[in-house]
Amino acid sequence: MALALPRRHARTAGAKTGTDLHRRRETRFAWLLILPTILGVGLFTAVPIVGSFVLSLFNYSIISPTKWVGLANYSALLHDSNAQHAFVVTIILTVGIAIAQVVVGLALAVAVQRRTGWARSLYRAAFFVPLLVSGASVSIVMSYIFDSQFGVLNYYLGLIGLPQVSWLDSTWGAIFTVMIVVTWQQLGFTFIVFSAALGAVPRELTEAARVDGAGGWRVFRKITLPMISPSILFTVTVGVINQLQLFDQPYVLTHGGPGNATQTVVLDIYEQAFQNLRFGYASAISVILFIVVLVATFLQFRISRRWVFYS
Amino acid sequence: MSDQPAFAVTTGMRRRAAGQAAAAQPERRLGGVQVRRTAGRVVEIILLTAVALLVVSPIYWTIVTSLRTPAQSFSNPPAWIPTHPLWSNYSAVFSNVPFWDFLLNSFLITGCIVIGQMITCCLSGYAFARLRFRGREPIFWAVLATMMVPIQATIIPVFLLVKEFGLFNSRTGLILPVVATAFGTFLMRQYFLQMPKELGEAATVDGANQWQVFYRIYARLAGPPLATLGVLAFAAYWNEFFRPLIFLSTPTKFTLPLGLVTLQGYLGTGSVSVVLAGVVLSLIPTLIVFLFAQRRLVEGLTFGSVKG
Amino acid sequence: MRTTRSAGHERLISRRCFLVGASAAAGLASLGLAGCATDRSPDSLVVAVNGTQAAAAAIKQAVGIPFLAKHPKVQLSIMAINGTDWDDYFAKVLTLIAGGLAPDLTTVATEGLQLFASKGIAEPLNDYVMRDKASLQGYFADVHPVLVESMMYQGDLYVLPTDFNCGNMFFDTVLLDKAGASYPADNWTKDDFYNLADKWATTQSAVAWDWVVRLWGSWTSWMYANNANLLTEGRWPGGSWMWDTFYPNDPAAQGRKGGWHWGAPTANDPAVVDALQYMVDLKNARLSASPDVGGGGTLQGLFASNHIAMTIGGGFWAGGLHAAGMTPDQYDVQYFPAWSVQKHLLGDAGYAMLKTSPVKEIAWEFMKSLTEPDALGALIAGNTSTPTRRSMMTASRYAPTGPAHWPVFYGTLDKFPNTTPIPAPPYYQELATAFAARTTQAMAAGSAKPALDGLQGDLESFVSAAAT
Repeated sequence: MALALPRRHARTAGAKTGTDLHRRRETRFAWLLILPTILGVGLFTAVPIVGSFVLSLFNYSIISPTKWVGLANYSALLHDSNAQHAFVVTIILTVGIAIAQVVVGLALAVAVQRRTGWARSLYRAAFFVPLLVSGASVSIVMSYIFDSQFGVLNYYLGLIGLPQVSWLDSTWGAIFTVMIVVTWQQLGFTFIVFSAALGAVPRELTEAARVDGAGGWRVFRKITLPMISPSILFTVTVGVINQLQLFDQPYVLTHGGPGNATQTVVLDIYEQAFQNLRFGYASAISVILFIVVLVATFLQFRISRRWVFYS
Repeated sequence: MSDQPAFAVTTGMRRRAAGQAAAAQPERRLGGVQVRRTAGRVVEIILLTAVALLVVSPIYWTIVTSLRTPAQSFSNPPAWIPTHPLWSNYSAVFSNVPFWDFLLNSFLITGCIVIGQMITCCLSGYAFARLRFRGREPIFWAVLATMMVPIQATIIPVFLLVKEFGLFNSRTGLILPVVATAFGTFLMRQYFLQMPKELGEAATVDGANQWQVFYRIYARLAGPPLATLGVLAFAAYWNEFFRPLIFLSTPTKFTLPLGLVTLQGYLGTGSVSVVLAGVVLSLIPTLIVFLFAQRRLVEGLTFGSVKG
Repeated sequence: MRTTRSAGHERLISRRCFLVGASAAAGLASLGLAGCATDRSPDSLVVAVNGTQAAAAAIKQAVGIPFLAKHPKVQLSIMAINGTDWDDYFAKVLTLIAGGLAPDLTTVATEGLQLFASKGIAEPLNDYVMRDKASLQGYFADVHPVLVESMMYQGDLYVLPTDFNCGNMFFDTVLLDKAGASYPADNWTKDDFYNLADKWATTQSAVAWDWVVRLWGSWTSWMYANNANLLTEGRWPGGSWMWDTFYPNDPAAQGRKGGWHWGAPTANDPAVVDALQYMVDLKNARLSASPDVGGGGTLQGLFASNHIAMTIGGGFWAGGLHAAGMTPDQYDVQYFPAWSVQKHLLGDAGYAMLKTSPVKEIAWEFMKSLTEPDALGALIAGNTSTPTRRSMMTASRYAPTGPAHWPVFYGTLDKFPNTTPIPAPPYYQELATAFAARTTQAMAAGSAKPALDGLQGDLESFVSAAAT
């Protein structure tokens, strides 16, 4: 062992000046590390966000003079049943997709983890491929697969003797279809995060538990799940944040229809901004959305203290 | 992972644990439990394969449709095997759009974004996870909050910013604003939190300074999460449409998604098979990146079981 | 210890406040810069084209090169913007305008004309046209007056139209032959249509009728045939400068004034309700599929693969079906059937000059050259749309793609003086969104009246919002 140098000795002894110096050095080092992120995110994301929030206090349409309206956009929101409906639709979609993503992704990751060699690589590629194609491109194929009259899906359902489903032209059918398509596409995200997390679980722990006589399911519940719980929190949180801002699939697949059955909040924002030229109003909606996402994320973190295990 | 003094202790412990496990293995019993376990495994493999085929089928359908005329593709019963592959759809992609230019642009832009993100997020993710400093939690929440506003709401202010920096209609204008990201920072933070504190403490005791603790210990272990981030970021930015649409004006600078939409033709009159051929061509590079990065993911980690 | 810590804490707060304040100021400043005059160089001409790279390159070839020969100092840049629909195109153009990088010329269709005109984005072309009337005589003689009038607003012309599409009826002749049906007469009626559709009532693999949920290409064609509309049809006064100069003895220009004035909403008039209800009835009778809610791609794909016997299409379908693999002998076109009248809807497009352009003279020269037959041909190569120039409608143009009865495309204008553009007031975007939502609502619920009552309410709120 090397000779303890005065600095470290001071640290281990807990002298106040030593701790302060150490703290300051740690702070400086930390700031050095987070500086690129703070700068980049701060300048190119935070500033525009603040700008668009401020915009919600104006009437802005690019082609007309900007007018200060204070909170008028927000009071208009209170009476806008379409926008409120959009929030309901978005929350329904988010809950459904987030749950499906995590459960299916985890189940598949566990199942694939137990395979070996090239079979494992092949399964991994299969479950990840949907994420590699853009939502808009796939919607061309999806709108045909889910066509109620001539679609592939209804054709096979008919062969098995199941009734034909109005996938895209009924309210709940459309919601369900969007859920299926988005889950299918985002599967790769949760799958790969869980695959990496499962790979990080020390094999000795699970094997030791098995040696002690625990069955597969018990090992999973008591050892594997807690060890990957930070990743579960991550996928659920990110999943919720992303799905509350769902846009691509409703935009191309259903255009928010039928009626406004799949009109998500961001779809509404886009239409208000770029179709109706009410940028101030669109910004007001995005402020409310921001609050919803923030609260949802905060709640998840709070609840997570009870079940997430950090080593 | 190279052999470092800090690991000498843990590796030995690992070997001992493995030996213990092997020694305690109960004798193999034929019949009964064994058959049930094998049957269970077979069922599992069948189910897994069925799900995999189901998941892949729309992609497979895309490929098959791209090899026919659209008229041949929308018929029931669906023909899963193309009888006369129409390779001309693929050559049509190359003749309708400057595909190689778009491919190069996409590669440059996405590659720079991904590498930039891997660096910035590894650094900041570690800091938020392992370092103590005043305001750590509020700042992390502020960073996280930037994920909570959609690009559709902020595109005009971002556009104005990019233009003021003189970066309109440039590839840098697409890369620079997203070189740092909340998503990647969050991902890396969670992974660094999963790593045992003891590794860093052991190294500090051995005389490493903060940078060495980060660089030699934790960053080395960050392979799988970095590969995860790299693959996810690559897939996301490779297929990005809205920002390139708004920020790029010169066709030679366009990225693949913009090029693919071009294939749809004026008033949507382009052949859907050619569009899907373009989609398939666009899929290949991401698949290659994934297969390449996959190996890093498979490596996995066995954090030494530092007992006590 | 305490003093040091609290001082540091205070510093942190004030630093945070400063950061927030600075970013707010920066955000505001960045927006304040919006709406500035354009920051482009005075010698550049930027043309925004809603089309493909190939079209832009073809335009550059056909028009740009001779133009640059005459104006060597101009830096010409042709920006092809291809989004998934007009929305993406507008999003890009609007963002450019917001950033002070507005193009000089931009594609405008019926959908956006009145918005651009009423908000003062587009420059009226009257003076330019009258100044150059000698060179434009040939152009206007070749273009039917309805296409010109639909590009006018409050008596001023804003666009020289380049291409158009009317809502005609397309047939799958393969299915027609199989069912033993014959190509209908020019003046066929709604009852003829129903009898024809009945032939596929029990066919499994094909359906008689399908459509797409958009203002152009949906039940609106039936609404026009029932002599009704979503908004009250009227005409802005003025425009005699155009008709007297370029169409002095043309009966087709009789009664034309200063552009369409879209007045009070009539979305739940009985005739309109009947039209939408007819779609519901056809679906219930299994003569129609559920409409395509996308941009029409699925519809074309299904039609090209012989799943649909009849649907609404325009000249641009010639190119689309050809690209989808249909041969000229597999499909055909006819006028839309008569209900209480025989009336078609149309949409057309061309280029408008932006008021913010610093090079209006050069832009005008370029705009004129875009209406030359060569340029038009490049723009709609492969029959991706119908040229506004009658002289370009030739058998050789439609031989490679079909259809056999291609004269129907322009005939809809020449033969029917009542052909009217789609209702596109300045608040068109909101109208289109509400229209799509209410249409799918009606189809899902199986009843037109409640949905159209809702649409009437929507439209009335748009009108009153626009008035404030």
